[in-house]
Amino acid sequence: MNTAVQQNTKKLRRPAAVEFQKGRRLHLFLIPFGFFMVILLWSVYASKDPSDYEKAQGYAYLFFEMPLLNCMTMPLMIAVLASRLCDMEIKGQTLKLLYTLQEKGSFYDWKYLHEAFYLLLFCLGEGLIFPLCGRLFGFTETLSIILVIRHVAVAFIAGTVVLTLQHILSLCSGNQILPLVAGLAGSFLGLFSMFFPHEIARLILWGYFGAFVPYSMNYDEAARLLSFSPAAFPVGEFAGFCIFGVAFYLVCRSVFLRREV
Amino acid sequence: MLHLCIKAENAKLRHSVIWLAALLVPVIPAIMGTFNYLQNTDILTGAWYSLWSQFTLFYSLLFYAPLIGVYCSYLWRLEHMNHNWNVLMTMPVSPASIFAGKLVIILKVTLFTQLWVYVLFVIGGKLVHFPGLPPLDILLWTLRGTLAAIAIGTLQLLLSMCIRSFAIPIGIALAGGCIGLVLSNLNMGLFWPYALLMMGMNSNSYEDKMSGGLLPFLISTLFFFLLFFGISIYLLKKRDVKA
Repeated sequence: MNTAVQQNTKKLRRPAAVEFQKGRRLHLFLIPFGFFMVILLWSVYASKDPSDYEKAQGYAYLFFEMPLLNCMTMPLMIAVLASRLCDMEIKGQTLKLLYTLQEKGSFYDWKYLHEAFYLLLFCLGEGLIFPLCGRLFGFTETLSIILVIRHVAVAFIAGTVVLTLQHILSLCSGNQILPLVAGLAGSFLGLFSMFFPHEIARLILWGYFGAFVPYSMNYDEAARLLSFSPAAFPVGEFAGFCIFGVAFYLVCRSVFLRREV
Repeated sequence: MLHLCIKAENAKLRHSVIWLAALLVPVIPAIMGTFNYLQNTDILTGAWYSLWSQFTLFYSLLFYAPLIGVYCSYLWRLEHMNHNWNVLMTMPVSPASIFAGKLVIILKVTLFTQLWVYVLFVIGGKLVHFPGLPPLDILLWTLRGTLAAIAIGTLQLLLSMCIRSFAIPIGIALAGGCIGLVLSNLNMGLFWPYALLMMGMNSNSYEDKMSGGLLPFLISTLFFFLLFFGISIYLLKKRDVKA
């Protein structure tokens, strides 16, 4: 029994170790780190010199603003990540040799998980921006850890679904221009979907970074003040999105497996 | 020599997907910009100028630089693959001509993109029933945006030349655009190449941000161009290639 477990662990470890071995000296962590720094810089700039009124709703503002920033930056960051990791196989023409050593499905899954790992690092980093800004600018509002976890989870799940698309595009394109242009277009569409009517916005894959914002914004024109009120979490919509994500992954995976090298 | 390099680069771009990217990507901000304008006609009362602000709101802030990044990455990818660096460096032309040839092509594609954006802008204006043609200022801002692309194009070519990955320079361009937005809000846009695009295109503004004088903008563009061009030529001459 123990030996079987050990063998299974070894089996799992090997493709993971191979993937990380391939990424050595590529400084892949710099991609999420660079984008994290941009988001951090933007958040710090947007929150600087707050009045007492702004301090009292500093976190609500960040919870509202961060998904918008994610809509703009994450599609391209994911495209860059996927392209960086998949292009090494395309450029090196390694796929034929790889498939003699590793199952096609295993290769596809572990490559995807490798990319998702860096995405997770980015999302966890984003979660740290909230307490960081709160401490830096002395927000008087209480930080809800549940909302931080929810933000990280939503960003990560929406990211993995977009990653599914970028992953297959990057693996199937001899030329990386297509996945990168798709990422660029995704950033555009994701951002603008936030201005669309709800029904249309839900049809845009990249718009889901901003679909589960925990606050809604109100603007008092007379007083020229922004205020935020809590918004209910659309559980059904989120569950539907997760199911779609899994189905989408399985479809893309099967398309990839059927494809001739 | 430069003429030969330009001809060679032109040949490399024949039937390339780069033209498809130049055609398709600007269509998205055009549709979005026009849609956004129609949603806010009660507060956007400046006709052509208001529509321009919606067109360029995010295009110049965040997407123009990565688009130039895509063009540059594509041009250098051809050299990074199939040991083409060896062929490139043994050609009887100077490194400056090689780099300048690529830069000229980038400017050609960028000019095409900008003019296409302008055409889409006119179509958008006509679809929302604006009378006549847009004011001449806007065409000037479009071309000024192309001028700023000289600095960005040189920088992106340098990045794509040094970084063998197709994607990383494009990510850097997006990050640069985001930082550019912050810096231009702090009135420090002239010191950051990526902010020059927004300043040149007069994005999200009715009044010309450079009505006080074009000279600082031109000096900044020239400075960044010379700086990145110089570094690129130095690297091409002194560094060994990785074929």
